[in-house]
Amino acid sequence: MAIAQSRSQSKSGVNWRAIWLPIAVALVVIFFLAPVLWQVLTSVKVNEDISAVPTVYFPTRYTFEHYASLFTRRPFGLYILNSAFVSITSTLFCLAFGAPAAYVLARLRLVGKEIILAIVLIVTLFPTVLLFLGLLEIVQATNLANNFLALIIPYTAINLPLTILVMRSFFQQLPKDLEDSARVDGYNTFQLLWKILLPMTLPALVTTGILTFIAAWNEFIFALTFISQETMKTIPVATAQLSGATVFEIPYGPIAAATILGTLPLVLLVLFFQRKIVQGLTAGAVKG
Amino acid sequence: MKLDVVQKREQKTGWILLLPALIVMLVVYAYPILRAFWLSVFTQNLGTELEQVFSGLSNYGRMFSDGRFWQSLWNTTVFTTSSVLLELILGIGVALVLNQAFRGRGIVRTITLIPWALPTAVMGVAWAWIFNDQYGVVNDILRRLGLIETGISWLGNPTLAMIAVILADVWKTTPFIALLLLAGLQSISGDLYEAHSLDGATPIQSFWKITVPLLMPQIIVSVLFRFAQAFAIFDLIQVMTGGGPGGATETVSIYIYSTVMRYLDFGYGSALIVVTFLILVIAVAIASLLLTRARANAAGVR
Amino acid sequence: MNRQPKSKLHTLHLKLKKWYQWMLLFVLSLGIILTTWIVMAQQPVVLNTLILAPDVKDLRAGMFQDFEKENPGIRINVIEGPNAANLVEDLYSSAFLLGESPYDLVLLDIVWTPKFAAAGWLSDLQDRVSSEELNAFTVQDIEAGRYRDGLYRIPIRSDVGILYYREDLLKAAGLKPPETFQDLIQASQTLQKQNKVDWGYVWQGRQYEGLSAMFVEVLEGYGGFWVNPDTQEVGLDRPEAIQAVEFLRSTIQKGISPPGVTTYIEEDTRRLFQGGQVAFLRNWPYVLPLANEAGSQLRNRVAIKPMVHAPGETSGACLGGWGFGIASNSTHQEEAWKALQYFMSREAQKRFILGAGYVPSRKELFTDPDVVAKYPYFPELLQIAEKAVLRPAIPQYAQASDILQRYLSAALANRTSPEQAMQAAASETRTLLSR
Repeated sequence: MAIAQSRSQSKSGVNWRAIWLPIAVALVVIFFLAPVLWQVLTSVKVNEDISAVPTVYFPTRYTFEHYASLFTRRPFGLYILNSAFVSITSTLFCLAFGAPAAYVLARLRLVGKEIILAIVLIVTLFPTVLLFLGLLEIVQATNLANNFLALIIPYTAINLPLTILVMRSFFQQLPKDLEDSARVDGYNTFQLLWKILLPMTLPALVTTGILTFIAAWNEFIFALTFISQETMKTIPVATAQLSGATVFEIPYGPIAAATILGTLPLVLLVLFFQRKIVQGLTAGAVKG
Repeated sequence: MKLDVVQKREQKTGWILLLPALIVMLVVYAYPILRAFWLSVFTQNLGTELEQVFSGLSNYGRMFSDGRFWQSLWNTTVFTTSSVLLELILGIGVALVLNQAFRGRGIVRTITLIPWALPTAVMGVAWAWIFNDQYGVVNDILRRLGLIETGISWLGNPTLAMIAVILADVWKTTPFIALLLLAGLQSISGDLYEAHSLDGATPIQSFWKITVPLLMPQIIVSVLFRFAQAFAIFDLIQVMTGGGPGGATETVSIYIYSTVMRYLDFGYGSALIVVTFLILVIAVAIASLLLTRARANAAGVR
Repeated sequence: MNRQPKSKLHTLHLKLKKWYQWMLLFVLSLGIILTTWIVMAQQPVVLNTLILAPDVKDLRAGMFQDFEKENPGIRINVIEGPNAANLVEDLYSSAFLLGESPYDLVLLDIVWTPKFAAAGWLSDLQDRVSSEELNAFTVQDIEAGRYRDGLYRIPIRSDVGILYYREDLLKAAGLKPPETFQDLIQASQTLQKQNKVDWGYVWQGRQYEGLSAMFVEVLEGYGGFWVNPDTQEVGLDRPEAIQAVEFLRSTIQKGISPPGVTTYIEEDTRRLFQGGQVAFLRNWPYVLPLANEAGSQLRNRVAIKPMVHAPGETSGACLGGWGFGIASNSTHQEEAWKALQYFMSREAQKRFILGAGYVPSRKELFTDPDVVAKYPYFPELLQIAEKAVLRPAIPQYAQASDILQRYLSAALANRTSPEQAMQAAASETRTLLSR
């Protein structure tokens, strides 16, 4: 693309690229960053600034009272711990179940492999809202209400398809001779997986783990339906249910603070693992 | 002979390794759908005091004359089409930008990822604040630009609320499409563009003759994903408008959720789930057909 | 050096020492267990309840605190809910659907009781309360808490829809306060022609629960009904109901009500009225003290009366309000009942009403001298409250209300004719109730 551009530039004499590219980049950055930045600003403004008309963009004074109120009026620390616990646990389960399954679908010849692969692909597209009724009945029947398992198991299931697809493509990229020589050396499949392949696909596991973690952290409908106890709520549900003290007061400040605190772990993940995340996303989707 | 034994063992091992994942997925995915099919021929609601009473196809019959269901289906269609179209256009734009080589490209790519990584529900609350009629930024900007005098009640006006919700969704999911398309763009060889421009083509012509056809598989895949996700959108709308005002932004999933969780109408809710599921299946089937055909075309262009 | 066992005495001494140590350990453990057990038994019984955010302060500082003082073994733990009634309803519903009972005391909006009771989430209080005690409340308020011969809700505060009017303007124009719908229209038009007000009559017309509440009053005024809870009969497609819709439409068409009235909720209408631009307002009693505040331009110019009606029919006031019930799954039924008994007692309710200014549920409080001293309009309200009309006390109320709201909105916005709208609404409601 770049080559073609430079050719057209020399033809018309105007360096279009130098003009539109910075503008385009700026637009992209502003578009994606603005809402988040707005919440950051709102979270440190005093209430007078927040409800000022016309809007005060940059805080006249800085305050951390909204952040503080999150922990005094609501158990926000608990929410974060809940989210973290559920996300990490379901991620571990996902990797533990998904990696072996991915290997099977990548390397082993199995009767019905095509069907299973098709099922995995179909399930990727499945909207979770269609599942909550059936799962609600299971939760009621097994008394798993207000139990983190009611979230961990569905989250594992939701993330398994993507895990399997991503890990499968990584397994397929591994040199086959490695496995063959290992088998010659007498390794059976389990040992092969555990001792040789998994360590080699560690980067892929990290990638998938991050994707799974993000998806689990952000999940809403199951967390809303299966957990009703205040102290067990996860971040998205708790943030959406923040309320004010009077009829007309919506706590915009604390809500903004909750947005920032509740999404900070994810933003950090993105910052550090951006490359891996993109790899994982494209591997998982394009394989479809 | 030995090969058979080895093969058998391979089968067994394979199934053992697959089983945990399969069981979890079956329980979480297959059971609820089958259950919905089953329950949809029963009536279980407050009228029956939550007892299950067999009622045949009456739930489906009720759906025909249910004004609210058709309204929600319409809203869902409007939302899905507008969202996916906008995201596709913006996504291609962002992908094209990210495909250029420039300083700080890595940072921009990271920034692009952020909307996708944040919880929809949490950002939904943020968007409601941004579109607030009195203190919202959007109204403030419009006022400063002199386009309006008093704050528009975005979330209180049926059409504007839908626009606000679509905008919030586009913001959240454009990164996904952009990154998918970017991967596709990067796999297109630069020689193709060189050859084309040597033939006297402008960049725009190259875009339509080369980029789009070669990108078609990725476009269809991402549209497929996005269609399925947008059709069943729940988090964003539930948090931003709750389906309001007056049901103007109520999509099928919100209606299903209300029917079950607020009205405790489990039988009817199951029927709604079944119908939504079938619609989705048909749409995905059609899209898959298109995908196979598009793939064949792409191969032709190359 | 002391390897050899010493004398027999020493051996015994050693043995005893070991035994002694074990004994000590045993006694210590026993002591800990016992103390813990006693301490645990001393733990107060905790009653959990979810309360609407605006009410938390009043209840906590009022009835709850007083109850805890008189009952040191019981504590009421208030979980603060969102500002909107329907969101609190969703929270209660989700919690009960999951099968557990995180809440012991249930704060119930007047229209929730049949649903919660039909779902089996509430304990039947019928046998715990005598009919004399129940007579202290208005008949309708108690009726609203019933479901199939059981009683599930004890009211603690009420609300009634009333008609506000500008007494000063009517007097100056020589008009009497309107009794019928026609009177209302004529008075409005007169005052508007004289340019005394911009608008004659303002009401809540947005598509939300308030629309249903407002509509039942007009419906009652024409002698119609929505749903008969006992016979499940639907009255929406009767001529009276269609007349009711036509009346509301005519207020917009005749220019008596602003076209924006179809987007108004209570606060919008109050602001218009308090700005002095409107002659008549339909709203809840909370507007009156605000209108009479120091500095308000409407101070001492506003009077209230029951809603207007058709000639020969009765006026309707929609009954609202909140009450308490006991969760059927609660493990503290007795303690919860103690709390409820306290809440419904005269003293507790009097202190609550005096402190917060809500409309009472107990009839005697409307005319209690201390209360009247602070809120002089309460005796008038009692007369209106006794004529109150309920929204249908059916379990599927929420769905029925949604159906009515949608079709009524369509008719008011002129998207369909009143007949079509009401017929469709009636038919959908019948399908809903036929299960």
